[in-house]
Amino acid sequence: MEWNRRDFMVGPMVIAGTASVLGRTDSLLTKLLGDSGPLIQRTLGKTGLTMPVVSMGVMNADIPGILRRSYELGIRHFDTAAGYQGGRNEEMVGSVIKELGVRQEVIIATKQHMRNRPPNAAEAKRQFMDGVEASLRRLQMDHVEILYYHAVDSVEDARADGPLEALQTLKKQGKTRFIGLSTHKTSEILPEAIRQNIFDVFLVTLNYSMAHDTEMLNLLERAAKGGIGIVAMKTQAGGTAKPDAKNRKQLPPISQTALLKWALNHEFVTTAIPGFSTYQHLEQDFSVVRNLAYSAEEKAFLEDKNFFAQAEFCQQCGKCSQDCPLHVDVPSLMRSHMYAVQYRNAGLARDTIAGITGGRGLAECDGCESCKLSCRNSVQIGRKIAQLRTLARDHFVC
Amino acid sequence: MREFFRRKVRLAWIVLAMFVLASVEMSMEAQSADAIQKRLQSFASDPLPTGVTREEAASFYKPDTLYEYIDGGADVYLLYDFQRLLHQNFKTGQGELTVDIYDLGKPENAFGIYSAERSPRYKFVTVGVEGYRSEGTLNFVQDRYYVKLAASGAGAALDPFARMLSRRIGGTARAPALLAKLPVERRVAHSEQYVRKDPLGHAFLAPAYLIGYTWAAKQESKLVLSVASDSAGAKARLGQFAKHFQQSGECVAAAELGENGIRAKNSYEGRVIARTQGRYLIAIFNPPENGAEVLKRTAQGLQ
Repeated sequence: MEWNRRDFMVGPMVIAGTASVLGRTDSLLTKLLGDSGPLIQRTLGKTGLTMPVVSMGVMNADIPGILRRSYELGIRHFDTAAGYQGGRNEEMVGSVIKELGVRQEVIIATKQHMRNRPPNAAEAKRQFMDGVEASLRRLQMDHVEILYYHAVDSVEDARADGPLEALQTLKKQGKTRFIGLSTHKTSEILPEAIRQNIFDVFLVTLNYSMAHDTEMLNLLERAAKGGIGIVAMKTQAGGTAKPDAKNRKQLPPISQTALLKWALNHEFVTTAIPGFSTYQHLEQDFSVVRNLAYSAEEKAFLEDKNFFAQAEFCQQCGKCSQDCPLHVDVPSLMRSHMYAVQYRNAGLARDTIAGITGGRGLAECDGCESCKLSCRNSVQIGRKIAQLRTLARDHFVC
Repeated sequence: MREFFRRKVRLAWIVLAMFVLASVEMSMEAQSADAIQKRLQSFASDPLPTGVTREEAASFYKPDTLYEYIDGGADVYLLYDFQRLLHQNFKTGQGELTVDIYDLGKPENAFGIYSAERSPRYKFVTVGVEGYRSEGTLNFVQDRYYVKLAASGAGAALDPFARMLSRRIGGTARAPALLAKLPVERRVAHSEQYVRKDPLGHAFLAPAYLIGYTWAAKQESKLVLSVASDSAGAKARLGQFAKHFQQSGECVAAAELGENGIRAKNSYEGRVIARTQGRYLIAIFNPPENGAEVLKRTAQGLQ
């Protein structure tokens, strides 16, 4: 298939010509193509790597067309990992970058996990380095720009000599230009990671549900001021579904751009890596790359206390369980509610309840006349548990 | 007043009955979950292949804990209705063998996740529906299970352990039935996929089967079989497909292709032809010169 620039330019004119055959529709793409102004670019800490504020988390998209389209639009940073789709994700990234002939223009990040607790640091280092070599083969590259120590969620792992030595060795060998750490537990892990003084980049979860966590936000800001590049992930987590199973009103598309802009409006964030897996979501997410100012609708969405009260993002902190007279596993019940309502995954919701042990589950949560628990994140615990009972009765079937 | 009281009592009995039913149901589901775990455990029980010993007890992961083992990689397993994972380490001579057995609930789901991770370039082995070896690993799919074995200094143990598991799993060793109805000639071996989310970047096409073919000269062709609930659903999907190409490139009606046929193209997906056949949407990306004929034959095979 050969496409040249003329074909691409003629395309929109052909659309007009065929409109009478198949009908004309409004197009976000048309609007996007019509937008002018430069892409907002930021520099990743002291690395010197500059990139648009919207990048691509390739994790969910094993689709060459999406990657091609992302590059076409202007995305230059692509984030993958050895563990995604058993290595197929890296293979796909490598194939498309090679096919496009743009290796020198893109910033590739991959990640290596430490699993199975090797018996000693030397073995851990060997396994880690072997894993990275395999990644480079799959990517068809002799180096990446960023290599992350993947999903470090315990201080013990953050201090593990094997992977830390492997990262530094690989950097010296030129197999990676920079090294980073990815974590879901920012407040717990970052102080240790900063103390290590070897990392150039942190990949962290950052979304609107964390707006109240000033301690974490300050930590990230300090890290950035110290020259560490900050990449944000899961910027729209939990923001896609209806907040309430009985509420038929759909969330507006601007909820996605609003949430993404919220993360990117923190100057310490260089870029976000949303995991879009459709062309529609790609264009929606990339639409913020020239202008991070909130539209009136986006502002209204973020200020909508009703929505966020309804959405009620549980932070899984567990403080409510401590206050519960029956010591119910409230975080797990809230998670089950999230799976049922936001993920629309009844099976997952059911299994979450079934997995609660020690007589602390939904069935046991019935001894109080009404739930008196309160949550600092405004989660209406009693109401959600009542909803969960209804959902369990009506929807959690085999 | 009596009638009011009677209604209230009736309502109370109904609520009580529903609560009891819900409790029984949840208890049954908990037992069902227990049965899933026990069945998984039976696969890796004694006797083990010669020279293999158990290093530790098995760990089990559920949908809400799978991320603790494979982090972001868990998302795609959840898409395929992941139920349980048995994870266990074994010793053999100087080496170690890691065994992961995923229960995906249904054979097509297991095939789906297996096919998401395999590459046509791997070295394939005859175990279950299919398996492959790659860099010290041996993965295979059989019935509702996806099995992943990884050896460190214990490569010789992979085959006997895999065959032992396959015997114990039993069940179906056939690929999803729809795949047999699609063209076989010039099919890229081991390219079949069952995709439950966003096939080729289009949410409305899910679920869909994808297969690669070497019909066209320079690049691989991709056949998409999108499975809707009924013919109206298939037609609606085709409408969305056409709209996407209208907006991003070009799309014209093509009666010669058959039921609701279209021809389309854009700069990043290339050319495509598509039509419906009952509840199916059939599309071929990068079609060959005789694409119309291939499309019609494919549709006939689905009647």
